[in-house]
Amino acid sequence: MLDFMESVQNAFYEASHWNLDNSYGALNATARALLDFQTPKGLRLQISSLAAPNFATSYTLGNVGVVDGSVSYLYSSLPLHRKLKSAELDLHHVVRGYRHLQELRRPDEEWWSEIWHNGKRIDQKDTLLYGRIFLPQSRLEALYLRRVTPTRQLRVSAVSDSALNNGGTILTLLQNDTGKYSTEYMYSTDSALMGLRGLYNFGADPRVTPTNPITTTPSTSEIVHGRFSAGAELYYGLLNKSGGISTGLRFTTLPDHTGFPYTMTLTLNPLMGNLSSTYAVKAGRNLALCSRFDFNFYSYESELQLGCELWRRRRSTGVEWAVKKMHSDRERATDAPDDDVSGILKARVDQAWRIGLLWEGRIKELMFTIGASLDLRKREQVFRAVGVELQYSS
Amino acid sequence: MAFNFNWSPLIADTSRARDMLTTALNKSPKPPIIVDDIIVTELNLGSTPPELEILEIGDLAEDRFRGIFKMSYTGDAFLTLKTKVQANPLNTYLSSKPDFASPMPLAASSGLTIPLQITLSDIRLSGFVILVFSKQKGITLVFRNDPLESLKVSSTFDTIPFVRDYLQKVIEEQLRVLFMDDLPAIIHRLSLRLFVPEFQELETETEERLDGSNDTTVPIDPLLTPPQDAIDSFGNPIDVSQITALSLDPASEMHASFSKSNILRLAALSESQRTLSLFTPGIQEVVFRAWANNPDQSNSGTATPALTQSSLSRIQSTFGSNRSHASSVASGSTGQETYSSRPTVVSNYSAPAGLSLGANRGTRGQMRKRKKRVVDLRKSKDSAESPGVPTEPSTPRANTSASDTTSSIPEEREMEDLVTTPTSASDSYYRVEGSHPTMNAAGPSRLMEQTASADVLLPAAPLLADAPKLSRPKPKAPAATAAAVPIRLHEPEMEERQRSHSSRPPLSRNRLRPTQQATSPLLRSLSFDKVTSLSATHSKLPTSPSYAESTSSSSGGILEQAWMMKMANEIALKVQQEKGRGVSRGRSEDVSSSSSAKNLSSSAPSRGMWMSSEEEDAPPPAYVA
Repeated sequence: MLDFMESVQNAFYEASHWNLDNSYGALNATARALLDFQTPKGLRLQISSLAAPNFATSYTLGNVGVVDGSVSYLYSSLPLHRKLKSAELDLHHVVRGYRHLQELRRPDEEWWSEIWHNGKRIDQKDTLLYGRIFLPQSRLEALYLRRVTPTRQLRVSAVSDSALNNGGTILTLLQNDTGKYSTEYMYSTDSALMGLRGLYNFGADPRVTPTNPITTTPSTSEIVHGRFSAGAELYYGLLNKSGGISTGLRFTTLPDHTGFPYTMTLTLNPLMGNLSSTYAVKAGRNLALCSRFDFNFYSYESELQLGCELWRRRRSTGVEWAVKKMHSDRERATDAPDDDVSGILKARVDQAWRIGLLWEGRIKELMFTIGASLDLRKREQVFRAVGVELQYSS
Repeated sequence: MAFNFNWSPLIADTSRARDMLTTALNKSPKPPIIVDDIIVTELNLGSTPPELEILEIGDLAEDRFRGIFKMSYTGDAFLTLKTKVQANPLNTYLSSKPDFASPMPLAASSGLTIPLQITLSDIRLSGFVILVFSKQKGITLVFRNDPLESLKVSSTFDTIPFVRDYLQKVIEEQLRVLFMDDLPAIIHRLSLRLFVPEFQELETETEERLDGSNDTTVPIDPLLTPPQDAIDSFGNPIDVSQITALSLDPASEMHASFSKSNILRLAALSESQRTLSLFTPGIQEVVFRAWANNPDQSNSGTATPALTQSSLSRIQSTFGSNRSHASSVASGSTGQETYSSRPTVVSNYSAPAGLSLGANRGTRGQMRKRKKRVVDLRKSKDSAESPGVPTEPSTPRANTSASDTTSSIPEEREMEDLVTTPTSASDSYYRVEGSHPTMNAAGPSRLMEQTASADVLLPAAPLLADAPKLSRPKPKAPAATAAAVPIRLHEPEMEERQRSHSSRPPLSRNRLRPTQQATSPLLRSLSFDKVTSLSATHSKLPTSPSYAESTSSSSGGILEQAWMMKMANEIALKVQQEKGRGVSRGRSEDVSSSSSAKNLSSSAPSRGMWMSSEEEDAPPPAYVA
């Protein structure tokens, strides 16, 4: 389940029309959500609040180690209006699962955001500031996010911790997203790592389609059922003179697709000989399945992982069907979409019989996450980690 | 002076050293580049021994040695390691970085593990070595300085100069750590396996269980020569400051801390004595009191018969010194004195062995006097039987559980003298108790103690327990306190009796502390608390008033009395039930408890009667031991 502050950041992205999915880093986001989810460890409590549309606070308390916790604050120059109270937030926003990609949207025009007053531009760039301090480790995380232009975003994240080399690290990330393609340039102070990422979407360019007059008779052939994307990344550390490279392909179905939505990715690391393919399918409204196969053609090591996500809904009681029938769809529109969700089960297993289980949901106004990671190979200690996370936000 | 330095047996079998090295290498957290266990595949100590130059010899005896050497080694030893490394630099680089500011590469950080084989050879060492050898504690070897001068690292990646240099650098660093920290521990454990067979057994057991990861041996300053896993007799780990304090007094040093393996063994022994189990663990390097027959012991009435054996147990002398200031406290001191006067003939290494074997020693210690006492015993027993003590069908059980298999043999030989009593263990108690007139004064108090013991049915709590516990009867029986001073003159008898009471429940442990700390570090470390906790048989009795209270203030006497009364009542109740069951079940088993308990049950309601009637005939002790 997403951290409250991550939800707030996502709300900022949404409000500022930034497409998180259109990045090479999010190429296999679906597979990662279904296979690489983190299981909580120990007990963790989080109380958070979006006190004002521009300001959020969050406090966590955990028992990893002895007692630890964190305090975080967030400021956004853009008012955020997404429902973030734990009683009424949309579970799809906080539970990472199958990412059903939408049609690319055309970037905003520059002048949309311009506000003129007395002949002067008074509008400001959207900015997000976020800070979090972990106690008692005294680790500080900071984030600065700025929408420079509608197609460009600057993201600076920093960690200060005496345990790290040089006392901390700063990562600067400049992202461009034109819809058709996206590029990212990054620099990390840690060993002076430089990086470059790019993603190209095949198919129609969203920037040009609106210029075409909408045809009165849309031919069925023009309807796009899926999207094919290709990308690559390149890293080079100036100080340790080492680098990395990878390329990837993705095909995913779009909402217009009539059958099951599915996503396929293939990534290749030519330097290390690693080939990874994932296939994820949303088999129904409540079920998503995913598999991943890794193969290294230098060491002949292979790995297989399977995962699933299951939304469990409460059975409607006896009268409810009658009520539904009577009010037909009029009533249903006002209902919260996930009112009947009792919980979401995520499970993964790999060929070494390491199992991860996650049960997320909402009880009254409390969001909960219960997780366990098991290792069936180690008989004496099957449970590697068990944890409970509770979140409340107002 | 010459030393015979035999190198060849060391190089004969290195498999064990290999295993230990593997364990040691995998113990510490590995750098992220190493993704698999480090396995030592080959270890050859070479044919050239290191050169040793003796700089100083601090201590020299047949079974111990302490010295400082100058060592230089230019031999042909080599070592081959196998492991797997992560070849992707981005992977190792990112694994140690926080996620928040990580570039989060999609696949560029995917791993590639490569098997790696490293051979270390041409090792050049030179340094000062401190070597401490003791037969009980094995070899402790510590380097004064960093001994590694140079070595040659050859690996799978020798063709890549960058990797080769890196490996050379990292391995040299690791080896320095190994020489300074891990090697002393390994050598110590190896030597323990060689010299202390029990450690070996224990070691194999624990290694089976924990795969050798429970390496508790830590190299400590060898000049102090404390045991590596220093714990006191209760399993409390002794911290370093305490050890140094102990070693200021060389006499107590050896006794105050025991090998953990011995403690475990003793715990097993005392536990087996509490049940019907016939199992008696053999304890190595222990001289049982029974074996160390000393003619001096025959004169029981004299003041210090035990101290004549001081050559074997320095612990006694320590206690003996305590006696002088402890005697001001009447009955509490009696306990200590009797304890101190008890001839604990134990090898210095495992003092608790002798102590918890109290029952055995009790029987054996009396062997010499037996002829004389036999007569007394019969008399006393006959008289004791009259108040309703049944004959003793339970003696076989007492014998088997109480006496060590070896020690029982001579006893049985002596038993031929005793026609009526088939076994020795219980008889000897009777004999002792019956034979001594001084017992009278303490009689009632002892009885009360037995009530407690009968309830718990935990026999042979290690004798250590007696010292603090003896204080309990004092307030309850004023007569006994009055008689305490004269009794002290006859310590052997007292001691005998107390030995028979070894089954009494221990006092509450924590409260013992103040007094124990007041006496001496040795006594403190010998306090009873951990022995019982180790043996994991806790008394079901409520915790009795503390030793400190009972000794220092007579006001605690009321509490004591009330408690004892309560206990006696409880026991009486229990005995009733027991009797009811015993009848149906056949008495072969329960007689010992019920016989003593029967006395107690009668004693419970009317203690005054007991005080008078108990004068000459001691009731059968709870000889469940």
